[in-house]
Amino acid sequence: MADPRPAGSPLATLRPWLALLDRRRGRLWAGAALMALTLACAIGLLALSGWFITATGLTGLLLAAGVAASLEVYVPGGGIRFFAVARTLSRYLERLYNHDTVLRLLADLRARLFGVLAGLDAQSLSRRRASDWLNRLTADIDTLDSLYLRLLAPAGVGLVAILGLSAFLALFAPRVGLAVGTLLLVGWLWLTLGQARLGLGASRSQVTELEALRGRLVERLQGMAELEAYASLASHRRELAAIEARLYLGQRRLGLLVALGNALASLVVGLSMLLVLWLAAQAWAAGVLSGPLMVMMALALLAMSESLSSLPAAFTWLGATLGAAERLNELETRVERPLPVACVDDVTELADGPLAVELERVTLRYPGALAAALDDVTLHIAPGERLALCGASGAGKSSVADLLLRQLTPDVGVLRLGGVALAAWPEAALRQRVAALTQRIDLLDDSLAANLRLAAPEAEEGALWRALAWVGLDDWAQELSEGLATRVGEGGQRLSGGQARRLALARLHLREPSLVILDEPFAGLDADTAQALASRLDAWLAGRSVLYLVHQIDAGPIQPPAIDRTLTLSEGRLLTPHSETPPPAGGE
Amino acid sequence: MAAAEAVGGGRDVRRWLTALAAGERRRLGLAVVAGVISTLATLGQLTLLAGVISQLLVEQATPASQLPALTAMVGLLLVRALAIFSQERLGRSASLAIRSRVRGELLDHLDRLGPGWLAGRHSAGLASQLVEQVEALDGYFARFRPSLALSVISPLLVLLVALWLDWLAALFLLLSAPLIPLFMALVGMGAERLNREQFEAVARLSGHFIDRVRAITTLQLFGRTAAATGEVHAAADDYRRRSMRTLRIAFLSSAVLEFFASVAIAVVAIYVGFGLLGYITYGPSPELTLFSGLLVLLLAPEFFQPLRTLAQHYHDRAAALGAADGLLAILEAMPDPTREAKARPPQAPGALLELAHASVSHPGRGRVLGPVDLGLMAGEVVVLTGPSGAGKSTLLQLLAGFVGPGAGERRLAADTAFAWMDQRPLLIQGSLADNLRLAAPEASARAMDEALGKAGLGELVQVLPEGLDTRVGERGVGLSGGQAQRLALARVFLSEAPLALLDEPTASLDAETEARVIVALQALAEEGRTLVIATHHPALIAMAGRCLAIEGGLVTGVSHG
Repeated sequence: MADPRPAGSPLATLRPWLALLDRRRGRLWAGAALMALTLACAIGLLALSGWFITATGLTGLLLAAGVAASLEVYVPGGGIRFFAVARTLSRYLERLYNHDTVLRLLADLRARLFGVLAGLDAQSLSRRRASDWLNRLTADIDTLDSLYLRLLAPAGVGLVAILGLSAFLALFAPRVGLAVGTLLLVGWLWLTLGQARLGLGASRSQVTELEALRGRLVERLQGMAELEAYASLASHRRELAAIEARLYLGQRRLGLLVALGNALASLVVGLSMLLVLWLAAQAWAAGVLSGPLMVMMALALLAMSESLSSLPAAFTWLGATLGAAERLNELETRVERPLPVACVDDVTELADGPLAVELERVTLRYPGALAAALDDVTLHIAPGERLALCGASGAGKSSVADLLLRQLTPDVGVLRLGGVALAAWPEAALRQRVAALTQRIDLLDDSLAANLRLAAPEAEEGALWRALAWVGLDDWAQELSEGLATRVGEGGQRLSGGQARRLALARLHLREPSLVILDEPFAGLDADTAQALASRLDAWLAGRSVLYLVHQIDAGPIQPPAIDRTLTLSEGRLLTPHSETPPPAGGE
Repeated sequence: MAAAEAVGGGRDVRRWLTALAAGERRRLGLAVVAGVISTLATLGQLTLLAGVISQLLVEQATPASQLPALTAMVGLLLVRALAIFSQERLGRSASLAIRSRVRGELLDHLDRLGPGWLAGRHSAGLASQLVEQVEALDGYFARFRPSLALSVISPLLVLLVALWLDWLAALFLLLSAPLIPLFMALVGMGAERLNREQFEAVARLSGHFIDRVRAITTLQLFGRTAAATGEVHAAADDYRRRSMRTLRIAFLSSAVLEFFASVAIAVVAIYVGFGLLGYITYGPSPELTLFSGLLVLLLAPEFFQPLRTLAQHYHDRAAALGAADGLLAILEAMPDPTREAKARPPQAPGALLELAHASVSHPGRGRVLGPVDLGLMAGEVVVLTGPSGAGKSTLLQLLAGFVGPGAGERRLAADTAFAWMDQRPLLIQGSLADNLRLAAPEASARAMDEALGKAGLGELVQVLPEGLDTRVGERGVGLSGGQAQRLALARVFLSEAPLALLDEPTASLDAETEARVIVALQALAEEGRTLVIATHHPALIAMAGRCLAIEGGLVTGVSHG
């Protein structure tokens, strides 16, 4: 199968994640040691039992033959009991301890990934906000989190067990140890690296095939009206069937490989047991080895199957882990926002008061889009001026906002805030001076207070209540039994759309920005509320530069307060560039 | 949605899974046979092993004299490897066949439910169910069911051999046999509880993570990303602490199994050892030989192995039960029987489609439309107006046959094809041409160019270097909302359908695009097609030959243009 792997060996792909694991080195070693101990007890239990039975059997024969013989039974008996209890105990502890470790790793992974996402720009984010992408992201994290428990630790412990057991057997008969060590090592290599190599392509592409299937299914379910109308359901179904067939071809292949690996694992253990038996029997015949030791050696091998049996399934699917790591790595490489190139060192260079805004011949193009999102746009906002930018959805208004918020960088053109190139603004100063009410209201699944404190972490409760009063939510909040501690639900779903918008506005009120970007500030508000809010907003906006983004200036009962000037965007172009349009009649 | 039905559906879910397995009885049965062969090969191999050792040590045979037995053991090893391989392959094939069939059934069922049923549902969520929940059935059929059967058969086989060797040792194993159902229950309960709690906690944790990712832009704008990163870590760590509390108990069940497996070996070893030394004179012990003693010892772990395997696969069962629950909820949705009935031809001459006293009811919401009487004549333009939620879309869906008339009748002239366009135009992954051919599979490139031109997309396509072969990416990336709308309109032009049903074709377009679409629709009417348009737009209303005002599910007024 063709291997569409991008540059970089599997090891290089996994390196950042191995480095992350390395931070918990101590726990990982301890967990692996517990695994090894469990295995050692299993081997010890069966091997010592075999030795014991053979020794007692032979002694019994001597006794029966009337020969005076004796066998110390209490030490081996105690050993057997010890191994039995220790195996149970260490297995239990190992599972508990390693599970704890894995959950710690999961916390590390999530935090790290979140840090990466926090560095992405608006364009990368908007494509990644879709729920299916998020689901894949969490699935990828979960996949990576098995790196230690399913791949590294069992393989490592298996290797140590092979070496340890061979060395142990070599103590009694060097030839036996060497021979069986070689056979098991070859088997180990096959079961890990060999299986991984063979399964790489198919297991890596499984995620892509699943995505393709999901994509087609969404298409079918969303577009069933058109598909049914045009009698295309059957032909679309054939495409689905073809994708499923590809998916299952890969699964069949992987299943075949895992089955082969499991069969081989049992064969390798069985053959090495026979090899040990044969060689040990020679040594016994030569009088080098006692009978009980010969049996012990053979039985020790039987218990090895426990350590090898989990390897084939895990390693055949290594490609899935690599794929997850690659996708997450790719995410990290996207964090290349050309952040403050030549940052203004001295914040005092940035003038206080309302900020002037300048866009000079700005063009913005989204990758893969057929047309530019913004095409040669030039616009200015004087300090303290209120500009309304009109246009239908998709006309480019949000792109202007994203550029000003430095969520996007233009392909061509320059942006300046307060006369300083936007790219040179220090991050903290920019966030402090520019505030925006975006079209999408992001509320955390947390309390009202926590959502307000996003804007001002140190704000006292009184300030929060004042902000709520400003948007007219204080009466409502006071009636809630939990007050500010009331949770707003996922995405703020326990609030109405209007309440969510007002809560987001209240967040702005907790800050003192010099430029305010308001995207449809009154969307979803009833006329009375909007009217009341408009006058308070007007007062608060005094002394700040304002950019309103509105769908249509004459639509809706309430206009944003005191628009100085209006510009219209259509398909990324300013319809009336530079020409001053008279302010509208000021709403109703 | 599925969770509410889960409470009462447990038994149905199991019955459904069993019925699915019955469909693959042959392969799943053969997988069990392969498992039994593997057990038999193991038993044979262990018997030979004990025999060889006994021959060497007791009968003082030379190693070379044991070569035939060793060769037989190699043979049995190969048989066992082959049996293991076959068991897995058969289980996997059965699982693949079952999953493919289940997905097929779901798709058939969704086709029957139709666009009317789908309209109120979250399609991405449904699609995920059709992918993930169907795939989640895998382990249950491929691994769990065969190992469930083997967990009964294999220990019995082992016990029979032990009984033949030494009934007292067999008794040790047998004594634990009544405990086996107990183990299984313990393991099952543990695994199920573990699985359920894990699942809920993981869902909560993922929810927290996803919640913060969704809000990431706001966090960026307020400069709060570092704090949020810390929160994400803290939430995951808190989850760890809570889940460790349940795990401590949950892992105990498998520890019990492990303990019995270990103790059985220890007890058998010590019993046999003391028996061989002659310390035990009770029962069969004096007859113990090195051969029988060793073999009994080797059998002890084999007795418990199938149960340990089952315990490993128990989470497959829990996963399948959860998934089956969600899938059954889809399959249990009742298709509208009137949707599938064959429509009679209209009574009025020249009519394409007639609604006679037709109404639409939704379970739980009562009648949402009608009764409506409406006849569509060939070539006329009918506009539906009214506030949102008045029933315009439902009327269009009824005309299209996406929902059936709960009462009354829908009559359709024979072989009347219709074109459809709504606010969420379908964009399939593929080229522009693929998207157009949905409406007319045999359409020529010229016809497609013409249709694009009429829909106002001609200029755009001409400047594209790859023209009609330009790929419109996944979920329509690369096309703006207005462009996608016009592509859907081009499909209407391309289709030969005499009737076109359009639901708010100009909503969410800017003024310029809107104007272009309206011109295109006028062209469509001029071609002599029958149009039914739900809209608020004055320019479209002006096109109408008849304008129906809809309110509260009823036609409240008719004006003629």
